[in-house]
Amino acid sequence: MRSSDVHFPKDLTEALAILHSQPGMLIFAGGTDILREQGGRGISLPEDVLYVRDLPELRRAGLTERFLEIGAAVTVSELLELGNAALPPLLSEAASGIGSSAIRNLATVGGNIACRSRFMDLWPALACLETLVELRDQGGSTWMNVNRFVSEDGSPAFPEGGLLTRVRVPIEHWDVYLVRKVGSSDYPTPETALFSFAARAEKGILVELRIAFAGELAIRSQPLEASIIGRSLPLSRRECAQFAESYRSLASSLSEGLALQFVALVGGAFDLLAR
Amino acid sequence: MTISFILNGEDVSAKTRSVDRLSDILRETFGLLGVRSDCRCGRCGRCLVFLDGRLVPSCIVPAFEARGREIITIEGYAQTEDYIDITEGFKDAGVVTCGFCDASKIMATAALLERTPRPSPEQILDQLSSAPCRCTDPEAIVKAVQAVAERRSKRLYHHAL
Amino acid sequence: MSDFKAEGMVYVATVRSPIARGSVRAIRFPQLPTGYRSILPADIPGRNRIVSFGAEVPILAQDEVSYAGESVALVAGPDPVILEELVATTKVDCDEEEPCLAWESFSSDQVAAKRVAVVGDPDLAFSIASQVYAEVYTSGSIEHYYSEPQGAAAAYDYDKIAVWCATQWPYHVRDSVALALGCREEEVSVRPTRLGIHLDGKLWYPSLLACQAAVASIACGRPAKILLTREEDFRFSPKRARSSVSLRVALGPTGELSAMDVRIAVNVGAYGPLADEILSQAVLACTGIYSCPNLRVEGYAVTTNTPPMGAFGGLGASHSLFAIESHANRMAKALGEDPADWKSRNVLRKGSALLTGEPLKEEPPYDEIFKRLAAASDYRRKYAGYELVRKRRSGRSDGPLRGIGLAFAYQGAGPFLSGEASNSYTVEATLDKDLGLRILTSAAGGAGRVIDVWRRSAANIIGVDMESVTIATPDTDQVPDSGPNTLSRNVSVINRLVERACEAVQKRRFRDPLPITARSVYRVPKPIKWADGQVSGLPFDTAAWAGAVLELELDPWTLEPRPLGIWLCVDAGHVADPERAAAALRSSAVDALGTCIVERFEPAGGGEEATAAARAAYFSYGLLPLRALPPISVEFLEPGKRASVKGIGELPFDTLPAAFLSALSQAADTSFSSLPVSNARLLGSLGTS
Repeated sequence: MRSSDVHFPKDLTEALAILHSQPGMLIFAGGTDILREQGGRGISLPEDVLYVRDLPELRRAGLTERFLEIGAAVTVSELLELGNAALPPLLSEAASGIGSSAIRNLATVGGNIACRSRFMDLWPALACLETLVELRDQGGSTWMNVNRFVSEDGSPAFPEGGLLTRVRVPIEHWDVYLVRKVGSSDYPTPETALFSFAARAEKGILVELRIAFAGELAIRSQPLEASIIGRSLPLSRRECAQFAESYRSLASSLSEGLALQFVALVGGAFDLLAR
Repeated sequence: MTISFILNGEDVSAKTRSVDRLSDILRETFGLLGVRSDCRCGRCGRCLVFLDGRLVPSCIVPAFEARGREIITIEGYAQTEDYIDITEGFKDAGVVTCGFCDASKIMATAALLERTPRPSPEQILDQLSSAPCRCTDPEAIVKAVQAVAERRSKRLYHHAL
Repeated sequence: MSDFKAEGMVYVATVRSPIARGSVRAIRFPQLPTGYRSILPADIPGRNRIVSFGAEVPILAQDEVSYAGESVALVAGPDPVILEELVATTKVDCDEEEPCLAWESFSSDQVAAKRVAVVGDPDLAFSIASQVYAEVYTSGSIEHYYSEPQGAAAAYDYDKIAVWCATQWPYHVRDSVALALGCREEEVSVRPTRLGIHLDGKLWYPSLLACQAAVASIACGRPAKILLTREEDFRFSPKRARSSVSLRVALGPTGELSAMDVRIAVNVGAYGPLADEILSQAVLACTGIYSCPNLRVEGYAVTTNTPPMGAFGGLGASHSLFAIESHANRMAKALGEDPADWKSRNVLRKGSALLTGEPLKEEPPYDEIFKRLAAASDYRRKYAGYELVRKRRSGRSDGPLRGIGLAFAYQGAGPFLSGEASNSYTVEATLDKDLGLRILTSAAGGAGRVIDVWRRSAANIIGVDMESVTIATPDTDQVPDSGPNTLSRNVSVINRLVERACEAVQKRRFRDPLPITARSVYRVPKPIKWADGQVSGLPFDTAAWAGAVLELELDPWTLEPRPLGIWLCVDAGHVADPERAAAALRSSAVDALGTCIVERFEPAGGGEEATAAARAAYFSYGLLPLRALPPISVEFLEPGKRASVKGIGELPFDTLPAAFLSALSQAADTSFSSLPVSNARLLGSLGTS
């Protein structure tokens, strides 16, 4: 019968050494994504598994003036327990819609970001917030913006090799935001996605605008955002319609259902800027 | 592999394989039939246990993950006064279940009240969504958990005095 | 069943057909370790068939397969995880044929049952009709999501084969296992395990699994247990049959219902057990609560190469009740009328002829039910208000997207499930010397809360405390056959049998020494007769009537429907425990609401793509999250003087989908004819501006 070799490193150094010796091994923290579609009696895991859930370096969370730093093995529940004082509302709303409370007690922030089969619920909010994640291997560490984890066709492109260790969320003030889950299922399906929007104004001028949408495919266009930034608020109805129309063309890779919902939500987001 | 952990307050060991689910180990090796191994994808809530104080669906916890941890099943939880608060509160509120989801409803309620002693109806319904069942009457369950919260608060208050 | 264990027990896993239609050439097992063995059709000592409600279903398909996932062999052994691996590496070589998946239009050899009835002169009525409205309403497959996946176990117990399973009909299990083993029925002892919520999903399929367990037990010489995983149960056990109800309705000059032309197709999957019953009930309910003087109805139960489909919270009436109530609401809207008024003008009254020609014996309390609903929900004002907004709305953001829907239905208790060999069902009561009263019925296993209704009835008749009344464990060695135990029969038919048995005991009580045993026998009345376009018989002895109002709004951006309130008013006859009955209705209402919003899937054919889709459907299928629920109000009408206890469990499924559809159609200003409606469709119909 198939069986896996499960490694229990006691710290990050040991984990990285094991990973270096067997680059392709499965990294297991909460396991909710790995195991959510294995309905059989036995669990199927690859030959080698690296269990990282208890690595102390991955379990910390801390807040500075400029950013919130979360260890990759912090669970979604623990993230939410950091509270409104520490957690950007965009992130808090996205996290609270994940699964059930029992699932949130197992699912980790890192596992949510590193999913390769689709974008999970934290990604759009983290993308809007221009979040950085640290990837480490024995050679050193790299910080990457989560927006880079999207390939040209919009599919997930979390890098191979390396271990996601920390997540750094910039702390910024947002005047307006909107997070909305799309699709009537609590469970990730081809027809579910998360919409995330945040905007900031100074002296009646739109100085920052971020829109991200992701399910199996992701949509984010910094050039389009840049073209809208600088407008006076409130936006006119004509401007809202024009910007919503620009986003429509980005949705061509989505299914009809998701595209319609995405465009509707973009419209809704711009409506908030028209008030 | 042999894993050691604390189960319902006792130090135990079990021989497990990497393919084993924690829910099956608890049932088969330790005879704890209050934990069910039903949907095997973490959604039905019939396998809820406390893992280091956190409510989790044990069917998607590989048995090896129990290493060094503390696990409490419904059998262990049933030894507590909180359990009596919950079962009596449910009884007083007239909650009738199908007989299969009692443990999951109790465990979900326990986890909620531990962190939120006075939950709102929305919080109650959100938490009880961890234990979905066709027999659930939403009105009764909200009343029941509120009744339990009341009982529990009174008991803890009297203990504190 | 999941807890069942016996010393030396083997587990049993199923080898399944990968194709939806064709024949099995060979089954190639991997090297089986010591202690593991395969079980093939040739190992079945008796008949490789269960006989179920008019159909024969193979225990293990031999030669021909009729759906992807059909059992073709079993593997037994001590470790279920190893068994799973063995089954995964077993190859089933087949000659595949093109599967038959179409059912809304179909060929004659797919017809498992046909029902035709003509009343009056529909052709004439249509020719002079003032208005005709036509639409096709479809209902999808729904998963029972019962309390526990299906399973069974069997073992020798001295001179008998003991069988354990959760079943709605223990005697059907007994007789099926006896047939499969080629032994006498008395040599099989069925010991039902806890059933929990079943929603009529465990009527006959447990018998199939029981036969498989029994055959495995005989073959291995050990106790044997087969327990489906949730995924297997979802994909391969019976689900609610899909249906398509085509309605063409003629109205007279003042909007009165003058004729209906109805075509019903029900997809019963492979083999079609329950096809007759489901179709009969669907056809009998096609005029709903309305009086229709001219009618042509043609109904077909269509077999396809998908898993056998069947009952869900009732046996077929809900398909038609959904269609006719939705259509009534649509027609009223087209006439510019409040649906409540249209319904009131056309509803059946005492003495009205039912579809079979029999007069309705009691006055349906439509007016009182509506009065209560309207008061509780403020229906009239809301309907008018939302209609005004709908008509004046020019864009999506022009006013709230809200709607309110109204629907009525009845749940009849009558000669259903009458197609079986045994035509009489029995309940026994024994008053012991210590004045303990024992009720013996095979229906006890699935009765749930209804057991207290029986106990209360029995206690009242005998004049003892409820605590003195016990319901015997429904082992077939101990209790008589009380027939199939469905949602509707438990409260009505079985309760009456309990009462009659107790009355018989009470009559003899002060005459004969204790203990006294009495039996009450229900002889299934003449079934509904269908012949040459005529249908006769009494569709139901009594009926419970209900109305439902559902209000919802659409999320302003995603257009997801959000229910705001549900109101139910039920004429349930004599309700012994109104709080419990209301709680039961509320939880059924939640289930019914789930079928309107999230619960639906399409059973698959064979092949890799279909299998992947089926697996994805399983993992994403779920009940409505509790936080999405609106307040649910339940009110009962006061019972009449001689009111009996009535079954009401199906009523939320019979009313809420139509109420939801109408509310959604009003909110979105689009006529829908099937549920759930995807957000994409809503957005498409309403536009994104």
